[in-house]
Amino acid sequence: MMSTDDLIRSLATAAGTRRSVSLQTAFAVTGAASLACALLLVFSVIGIRQDFAEMAVRMPFAFKVVYTGALVVGASVLALYAATPGASATALYALSPAVILLVCGVIFDPTGLPIMGRTNTAVAFCVGHILFLSLPAMVLTFVFMRKGAPTQSLFAGAVIGILSASLGAMAYTLACKNDGMAFVATWYTAACAIMAFIGAVVGHRVLRW
Amino acid sequence: MTVEEREQRWTEAMRAERRGEAVAYERMLKEVATVLRRSLAPRLVRVGLGAHEAEDLVQEILIGLHRKRNSWDPARPFLPWLHAITRYKLIDFMRQRRRDTRRSVDLPVEDWLEIVEGPVYEANWSTWEVDRHLAVLPVSQRKIVRAIAVEGASIRNVARGLATSEGAVRVTLHRAIRRLLGAADPTPKIELLPRNAHDEHR
Repeated sequence: MMSTDDLIRSLATAAGTRRSVSLQTAFAVTGAASLACALLLVFSVIGIRQDFAEMAVRMPFAFKVVYTGALVVGASVLALYAATPGASATALYALSPAVILLVCGVIFDPTGLPIMGRTNTAVAFCVGHILFLSLPAMVLTFVFMRKGAPTQSLFAGAVIGILSASLGAMAYTLACKNDGMAFVATWYTAACAIMAFIGAVVGHRVLRW
Repeated sequence: MTVEEREQRWTEAMRAERRGEAVAYERMLKEVATVLRRSLAPRLVRVGLGAHEAEDLVQEILIGLHRKRNSWDPARPFLPWLHAITRYKLIDFMRQRRRDTRRSVDLPVEDWLEIVEGPVYEANWSTWEVDRHLAVLPVSQRKIVRAIAVEGASIRNVARGLATSEGAVRVTLHRAIRRLLGAADPTPKIELLPRNAHDEHR
């Protein structure tokens, strides 16, 4: 082991060599690339809804977009918080709009559509598609998180999971044929929970520095 | 140096690092190392680690600070950032040491099985010793003592096995015990000997 003074001297010679792209910039690029990948997958693999133009102006679609949007924004704030040592924990409140929408969606569902979807396989179909669409986002956000300095690897991994699942869900709104608000609130959230779990398990191994 | 002064000084040095001023950065790293050493050494001593461990940890923290210096936002205070990194590295360090400890004192299952099997020798050895003690007894007494005291049979079963009464077995057992006591004691009690002699002549 070298002496601490030698170590400090060698570290100091690297002063100013790392070009400072701020974490926020890096994150914005990551998020945009993730959403672009998910959209590309929707268009190329799944295909958008046939009646998309007609459906896009209705309330259920608006709810889907607003809910996934709230999740994306909330998880983004959390991801930046998790990547920054010593950041303020008030970032945790960023998820509250999504939680409020979730509760409202489940309790006051005006559409009256069944919570299990239009067909028997709707749940597995939707959740599976969202998980599939969130995979590129997960890889990209993990790369971002490794550039940051997460001091709680389990939490950071879980946040990455939520973020990538909500990006995947946002892209999936173009294809999803189930308009029930309770369905969307429940099963989109379930996909987020699954990805959060996977993210936490992976993050615990991958995010140490 | 008060906390505010330190905050201001180190923040300035971190900004200087981004401009490529190695001297200011080096001075700051030295000051950070001194402060960390002072605050971490007693903490590590309290959990039974030595001073050289503190030095290892200080170096780990300095390397972490250096590698992740991009995650510090110049608009944000520096000390909370440094504190979070220090805490992370301290916990990581302790976890690693604990893992090392576990590995060095670990008891593999093969070793453990050998330990459990050990008493077999002792049992053999003690049987041998019992045999040695029982050798002072006549054959008939030895048989009964062995069956009852060593193998744990009941008096009734022994009587049935030897085709005698339970009373006879009991009497023989008592005699055997007296004889064993006499053999164990180098100065046998006077009263025992005549009675033994008497028994044998009966």
